[in-house]
Amino acid sequence: DQVLHVVPDTYQQVQHLQHLCSTLLLDLWKPLLPEDIWAGEDVHVRVPAPLVQEAKDSLDQHMISYKVLIPDVQELVEQSMPNERSSNRQIPEGYVYTQYHTMEEIYQWMTEIQKSNSELVTRHYLGKTAENRSMYYLQISQPSDKTKKIIWMDCGIHAREWISPAFCQWFVKEILQNYKSDPRIKRFLENLDLYVLPVLNIDGYIYSWEKERLWRKNRSPHMNGTCYGTDLNRNFNSSWGSVGVSYNCSSEIFCGSGPESEPETRAVAQFIERKKSDILCYLTIHSYGQYILTPYGSTTNPPSNSKELMDVGEKAAAALMEKYGTSYQVGSTSLILYSNSGSSRDWAHTIGIPFSYTFELRDKGTHGFVLPPAQIQPTCEETM
Amino acid sequence: ILDSGRKYYLQFTTIDYKSGENAGSCLATVLYQKKKPPPVVNIKCTETKDQKKIEEEDNRLYQKLRHQTKPIIASNIPDIYGNIEPALEPVWALAVAGSSYIMWEKSTENLGYSMAQVKSARQWIRKDDFIEFDFTVLLHEIPTQEIISCHMRLTWRPGHPLKVKYFCASENQGLEDGSGVESGSATGILPEKGAKF
Repeated sequence: DQVLHVVPDTYQQVQHLQHLCSTLLLDLWKPLLPEDIWAGEDVHVRVPAPLVQEAKDSLDQHMISYKVLIPDVQELVEQSMPNERSSNRQIPEGYVYTQYHTMEEIYQWMTEIQKSNSELVTRHYLGKTAENRSMYYLQISQPSDKTKKIIWMDCGIHAREWISPAFCQWFVKEILQNYKSDPRIKRFLENLDLYVLPVLNIDGYIYSWEKERLWRKNRSPHMNGTCYGTDLNRNFNSSWGSVGVSYNCSSEIFCGSGPESEPETRAVAQFIERKKSDILCYLTIHSYGQYILTPYGSTTNPPSNSKELMDVGEKAAAALMEKYGTSYQVGSTSLILYSNSGSSRDWAHTIGIPFSYTFELRDKGTHGFVLPPAQIQPTCEETM
Repeated sequence: ILDSGRKYYLQFTTIDYKSGENAGSCLATVLYQKKKPPPVVNIKCTETKDQKKIEEEDNRLYQKLRHQTKPIIASNIPDIYGNIEPALEPVWALAVAGSSYIMWEKSTENLGYSMAQVKSARQWIRKDDFIEFDFTVLLHEIPTQEIISCHMRLTWRPGHPLKVKYFCASENQGLEDGSGVESGSATGILPEKGAKF
């Protein structure tokens, strides 16, 4: 859309301009009404993009002089709204962690974060998504001669849960900004390596930005492309397909055509399987609900180290609450939430990873998946 | 309760939806009848806010919406980033209140709901004292994780219960052909009398 600055010289030109405004339904910015157009006076009029040429031709035909005042209205609109998306790229020094970011920005961020923290951070390829996009995780590892145990954290397995990838990015930033000054983080990194996958379901995340905000699954096609998406958190090989799922692609909890049928699931599972003897803790971040969930979802039988799992979970919830008073419930999914099978957290535990948790971040349903950006900081701070 | 359903006894505290402040506590019984919604609810609440203050707030909300020169027409509240324009907060609040009626009617022992987003809102200016809105709201259904789209027509005046008429369709299936328009008037059933925000 363009805004034109027009100055009609004669009465005839005024009449023509008025006629043009009403026939093309143009948006008069100055004056407000066509009847207030006078010869020799400034006129500012917004012309919708498809009509720009026609309008200009018409003005030319009648020898009416004009200038282009605003060549691109949309661009101006975007620039003037600092809280909204702007087309400017963000670099880590100026990276705004209290805003939600597109996948493109997150890819860029991963590259930059590694570059500016190369002594600690390496980016690794994990696999491809259903739509052939590359999945990367960040490894935060302090060089040392001893082999360290691993803590794995993935975010964004469900597309609409935007606060989750926001948290992963925040987490990385916090660690990197404070590992020299904060003694706890320092000790942490002396003994542990952190592996962070900021967005697991990349295709779904992009789809929730561009097409459907409340999309949940991945974007793999089924039934000859008439139906899309498997719920990646029902697709892992832990009692797959037994409870809390649907075998129908049209459902949001469709478990896929088989365990690990999805490329995203396979990419994560194969990696974790390979490294499992070194992985101490598996964390997967979701929203919403404010829960710290322990295995299992598929059965109420407690896992072997149930007491320890609960203990650590309760301590975490208590620490979280200290920050802003936010309360999180701790317990096994099947007992405090609902039954489900094929979850990544259950699978991680069954292959031998002792500490496996699902975090459901803020809130309790007031905003649900569409958590306002103002809550990114407090949510991340307390979860940290 | 053998054969007729299950009864739950609840004691809980409430918080203001918007401010998060403590708003009182309630004692309730909920009877789920053999998986057939809606549950039968008996409830008694003590409010921390005094009646006068509630009336004032209701009135303020009412005046804001009543004195629109042009009917409010909006979509995506909150927007995809989670932001709600301050001018549209009263509209969102009304939608939340109205949706709670729909969610109550649809709930079973195994299905719960939250209001995920107001897809569209349209105000109808009326000559009488009532405020009237048409909404399309998206409900998040647990544990199926489905998003249910509901069309809701709501009328309200302070001191009166909300009147809600609605029709819901599952997002995946599109509009169900004539499988029953669920409509209901919410006369005096909700524990919330009018809008308390």
